Order: sequence, then C-alpha cells, then structure tokens
Amino acid sequence: MTAPAETNIELKGLRFRFGAVQALDGVDLTIGGGACGLLGPNGAGKSTLLRVLLGFLVPDKGEGRVLGHDIRRDPFAIRRLVGYMPENDCLLPGLDAVSFTAYFGELSGMPRREAIKRAHDVLFYVGLGEARYRLLETYSAGMRQRIKLAQALVHDPRLLFLDEPTSNLDPRGRDEILALIKDISSKKDIHVLISSHILSDIEATCSHVVILNKGKVAAQGELEALKQVDFSLFELKIKGEAEPFLDALRASRCRVEETEDGLFKLYVPPEVGRSGVFRAAARTGVQVRHFVQSRTSLEDLFARTVGVD
Amino acid sequence: MPIAEQGYLHWQGRTAETRRPWRAITRFGVRLSFRRKFFKLTLALSLLPAIVFSVGVYLAETIQHFQVFMGGSRQIVAVNPAFFQTYFTSELLYFMLLMLMILAGTGLIADDLKSGSLQLYFARPLRKRDYLLGKLGITSFFILLLTLVPGTVFILLKIIFSGSFRLLTEHPWLPLSVILYSFFLAVLFSLAVLFVSALSKNRRFAGILLFLIYFGSDIAFGVFDSIFHRPELGWISIRANLKQVGYAVFGGRPPLDVPWIVSAVILAFWAGVAVFFLYRRIQSTEVIR
Repeated sequence: MTAPAETNIELKGLRFRFGAVQALDGVDLTIGGGACGLLGPNGAGKSTLLRVLLGFLVPDKGEGRVLGHDIRRDPFAIRRLVGYMPENDCLLPGLDAVSFTAYFGELSGMPRREAIKRAHDVLFYVGLGEARYRLLETYSAGMRQRIKLAQALVHDPRLLFLDEPTSNLDPRGRDEILALIKDISSKKDIHVLISSHILSDIEATCSHVVILNKGKVAAQGELEALKQVDFSLFELKIKGEAEPFLDALRASRCRVEETEDGLFKLYVPPEVGRSGVFRAAARTGVQVRHFVQSRTSLEDLFARTVGVD
Repeated sequence: MPIAEQGYLHWQGRTAETRRPWRAITRFGVRLSFRRKFFKLTLALSLLPAIVFSVGVYLAETIQHFQVFMGGSRQIVAVNPAFFQTYFTSELLYFMLLMLMILAGTGLIADDLKSGSLQLYFARPLRKRDYLLGKLGITSFFILLLTLVPGTVFILLKIIFSGSFRLLTEHPWLPLSVILYSFFLAVLFSLAVLFVSALSKNRRFAGILLFLIYFGSDIAFGVFDSIFHRPELGWISIRANLKQVGYAVFGGRPPLDVPWIVSAVILAFWAGVAVFFLYRRIQSTEVIR
C-alpha cells in the first residue's frame, strides 16, 4: 500500500453499535488526499462511518481525526472544513436553488452577502445556472443530486463526503455527476470521500479505496495496487468432473466463482500460481480447455474481499 | 445540461467561528413566512386589534375634541394597566396568535423531518440548541409583533398624546409587565407550536393538533366546570391559565378565584415537557434499527 501524501482521516479502533448491531467494529483507517472510495455491501457501515466522522454519532470506542481535528472533541471545526452530500432526499420545499444553497452557506458561517454570491457561483459550476431560480420540488433526480452537491460545496470545503452520489440517476446523469466529482477531486484541491456500492463509480473516480464489510475494514489502499497484490485472476473452462477439481483448488486457498456461461473465475494466491492450477487438474483428472489470465477489476477485488458477487 | 458552465473558484473569505448561527435560521424563516400570501393577510388581520386599541389611546387623550359627538361623556376609555390587560388577555389576541402559529410555525420542524434536511443543518457547525433557538426565534418574532410592539406603541402614544409621563410615574412597572407578558406568550406559544411540529412530519396534522389541544382543553374545562363548579378546573384550560397569569402581571384580579401562580407553574411545566421532547426528537441522523 502506498503511503498517502497527506492524511485527511485517521481512525484507530473505532467502534459503534446501534443496539444489538455492531455497525463499526474496530475500524483502523488512514485516508490521504485525492479521491477515496468507501465501498461495501449494504449494511457494511459506510454511512455510519461518514456520520461518525461528521460527529452525528459518537463512537463507543476508539479515536479519530479528520483534517487534524478530533472527531469527539472538535466536530464543529470538522464541519466547517467538510462538505456533506447525503444519500437521501434532503431538499427544503418552497425554496429556489439560490436561497437553499445560500442558506446553508450562511449556516456554515459565511456572511449573508458572500453566501448568496457564492451560491450563484457553485450553482453555475454544478450546471444549475439556468435553473437556479426554479423551486426545488420541480427538479429532476439529476438536478436534485447536483443541488445537494452545490450545498456541500458552497462554503468551499477542504474535504467532501459524498454518500451514494449517483443513486437514482440515469446513465447520462451518472456520467455527469461523476465528471463533476472527478473535476473537483483532481483539479480543485478538494479531497473527496465517496461512499458507494456502485463499483464502477468508484473505479471511475477514485485512486484509493477502502472496503468495509460487516463494520470492519476488509481492504484499503491504492486501487491499482490492491487489484494486483496477493492474487492472480484466471478464467478457465474444463472438461471432466468439476467438483473434485474445484475442491482441490479451494483446499489450496483459491477462490472459485462460476459464471453463467460455464466459465470459472479463479483467484489464485501467489504460492499456488498457475502451475498449481494445472497440478490440481492433473491430480483430479480434468482437462483444462481454456485458460486466460484476466485483468483484475474492482469487482474482482470486491468479490474476493467481501465474498459476494 | 452543460456541466461546469464556469470553473470552480475557491472562496477567499473565512467562515466565522463565534457568531450565533440561530440568527440565520430565524432571519431565513421570517423571510420565508412573508413569501406566503395567506400568511401576510392573516398577519395584517391580526394587527387590527392593535390598531383599534391605538385609536383608543388617541381618542382617550383627545376626547375634548370629540365631546360634541359623545353627548357630553368625558371619557370613553382610560389608558391604564387595565387597558393593557384587556388587550393582552383578549380572546381575539390569543386566537390570532394561534392562527399565526398554525400558519407560520407548524411546518418549522415537520417540514425538516419530512424532507430529511436535519442532516444538512447538523452537517454545519450548529448545535441542537442553535437549531431550536432559530426556530423559536421565527415564531417569537411574530408573537412579539402582536404583543411587545403594540404594547410599546400604546405607551408611546399615551405619552405623546397626553404630553406627560403620568402613566409611567403612576405605574412604573407597566413597561416591565408588557415585556414580561409578551415574552411569556412568545415562549409558550412558540414551544407549543414547535412541540406539535416535531410530533409529525405533516404540518397539517400538527396544525390540527395544536388547534385541538388549545380548544380541547378549554372545552374540557367548560364541561367539567358546568358539572362540578370548581374554579380549580380552570387549570386544565390553556386559555384560562394564560388569562390568570396575564391578569396578575398587569395588576388585575384573576378571573378565577384560585392562585395565579399555580397557572404559571402549570404552563411552565408544559413548556419544560416541550423542551425535553424537542431535545429528544431533534436528531442529526435518523437511526433505523
């Protein structure tokens, strides 16, 4: 794992429980600059983690710092420096985009005039310039995501928390939001933490990734490095009795997935290697008819780490 | 729709750390209320009693000019503490305050709960206290507009038209009574409306509930009183309790023959319950277990 050039978020042994559910279970994390993806299946603890980082929820145990500020003792300093775009709808009815954005700028501590001027700027930036005086309830799903992004940007934060930024969007709307996020994180000197379960979104925007599963960090680091380290991915077709062969591979710590078209995907640890696959085939009497090393994607990493397709 | 029609510019200013963010909520809420036509109309109607009373102050001090119309009567109205007591404890004032609260207050928290915008508020450097004070400020503004402002105007008009400070020298506690009872009404009505607003995500439901609580308690008092004929039963009526305290604050004899302080304690208790509930109900994040 490459050490991050600048540490934005640092967590040690963070635990949080919702009644009987251990939502965060000893989360240790270091997140640097740029765009970082927070991945995990539903219920993994992604949104809970964001809420703990913002000080909405107080952790039961552990400690954490965001932009150098303690999450327990200094949540207000964090909120001044962080912009938050929530997953669900949060737009106040009866307002136009300028009033809405300026209002939250003012609540962030901006003088009123500055907040209004700044609201116009960010609304143009997110592509709502023409629609900035329309009532929010008339906005489409894509526009709603943009206005949520605008209110998160209005006070010029150093770090953005985006919770499922592309949810409910059509492909075009998704591409546009992703283009904005990329622009913000790569050219505007604003670091971004994106929580999502849409792997392609993370792959398109982030250089670093943290995978959460059942409240624990299952993997973290630079995306490219994580995709390559520790295992090779092969696709193969076989002829013969599959089960003994697959059992033999599983016994040697390979992870096996069968695709719909009868193809097997093998995640092979370095100590086994490709020769180990052929040895297992020879031992169990199957013929390998197709054997290709595949490029690992984030989906492969996610499937291997979390154990879901 | 084109993305990034103009480039992102960093803001060069600094966010303030010591300001009181509740003021922004109040200012915004008041501005937003004035965007509603029906609310503006109701507010204008609510000010009519104050205008009538102001005319009363004028007439009281310039009666000699109108004696020809009054058939020799020397005084139609006296501007004294009883005059203020009449205004501040009138059923019409309470009713107009209630109507304003229903129009301007019932959506204050209900709308935030419904839209899920509480998380946006608390993603800012904002305490629960700031949020509630901001909302309380909105309703208090309108209540004080119908209580403190007219009360102060009556005193000023009396001084101007009479050309003397006799009212204040004879009743030096009167301005204090006006301030005290105005804030008393502001806090109570505001907490009541915020309480019902936080009970539901539907502002209409909150409005109906406030109406039912206010008039329901009065009807219950009327029914029990007709059966048992006991003045203590007035303590169950919000209106009767408000009147008891109002009469006491302006130096009059309370309409019910029971200690007014008990009414004050009962209202303070309900205010405490509302504050407790609001602190519990307002959360930055909704936890679904």
